[in-house]
Amino acid sequence: MIHVYGLVDELAELPPTRGLDDAPLERRWIEGLEVVLSRAETPPSAEVSREAVLRHAQVVEELMARSGAVLPAQLGRAFRDEAELAAALQEQAAQLVRGLERVRGCVEFGLRAVGEPGVEPEATTGAEYMRARLEQVRRQDALVAALHEPLAGLARESTLHRDAADEVRAAYLVPRDAISAFRETAERVAASPGLTVVCTGPWPPYSFAAAER
Amino acid sequence: MSRSLQHEVTLLELVDRVLNKGVVLSGDITLSVADVDLVYVGLRVLLSSVATLEEQAQLAAGGAQR
Amino acid sequence: MSAEPDLVGKLLEADGDLRRIAGELDHLPEAFPRRVNADPEQVEKGLAQLVLTVVELLRQLMERQALRRMDTGTLTDEQIERLGDTFMKLDQRMRELTEHFGLEEGDLNLNLGPLGDLL
Repeated sequence: MIHVYGLVDELAELPPTRGLDDAPLERRWIEGLEVVLSRAETPPSAEVSREAVLRHAQVVEELMARSGAVLPAQLGRAFRDEAELAAALQEQAAQLVRGLERVRGCVEFGLRAVGEPGVEPEATTGAEYMRARLEQVRRQDALVAALHEPLAGLARESTLHRDAADEVRAAYLVPRDAISAFRETAERVAASPGLTVVCTGPWPPYSFAAAER
Repeated sequence: MSRSLQHEVTLLELVDRVLNKGVVLSGDITLSVADVDLVYVGLRVLLSSVATLEEQAQLAAGGAQR
Repeated sequence: MSAEPDLVGKLLEADGDLRRIAGELDHLPEAFPRRVNADPEQVEKGLAQLVLTVVELLRQLMERQALRRMDTGTLTDEQIERLGDTFMKLDQRMRELTEHFGLEEGDLNLNLGPLGDLL
């Protein structure tokens, strides 16, 4: 079974880390792309452990530190052999090449924010209730914009998702030379009254690795 | 703020990326575990797809993406 | 050399009540082993949580839709009044039911998780 950590460009050398199940890392050119992988016996149950998740993450981190560009692979699929891997890469070869260019020289930062739990608006009539709720929603939107826009301004790309429960998740693709400006800005905007904010990073660019729709 | 909470939150971010983001290559061997939470998630997708699509379209139009 | 990523080094900023974000760890589809709870009371509570979460989600979605329409001026005053009255009563009923089952508001708060990004 072949496990893939990601695609790389200009990888200086393989990290000294071991892969999943302590298997050695390998680098292979397949379909014009350089892949980093490790091999293991096909497990009887195809379950991933917590350890595997962390090890995968560690390998991808170290690849990022040693490459010009890295497209992290999602943990979840494995290949019986190199032929199967080659077929999978061929399917997406053009997008993967574009993907490497898209993330070249960048890291990812993540943002999660939640608003305060819904305060029951004081209202006696339906119309009063709706007006109060609309006001709440507008205030929430303004808070989120104040948080997101300065950060998006420093990123090559960004994404913003909102869940029904006023929870916000954002990801930012930040060029390396903008990292310190990003950190400073994050520090400033994260202290937003009315929102619980978590900003993490730098990560390898997982959220910008899949092909754009 | 407790250190274990910080650890938990950062772990959440890491696990989310490794399991849900990243490039997906179509390998025949699927590594996963059936998870009851997927039922919750599935229902939520079904019910919220329209609203979320609208919302995202509005945000995108507002220049959130660069 | 550490075989695990340095998690502490990844936390850039954290402000506010982190428990509201950390709680999501319970809801990620993941392979970590989970305890099986067969206590009937807990099972009932778990079912109530599922059902109420769905209802609460529906309520929030409908409310958002209505607020959006109100914002763009495509609702009549009568509709605004009727919708607002319904949502207000529904919200109240939800709070009562949630309390009845010994749940908290935060228990009805599931994220889309990975599927949220498909939308």
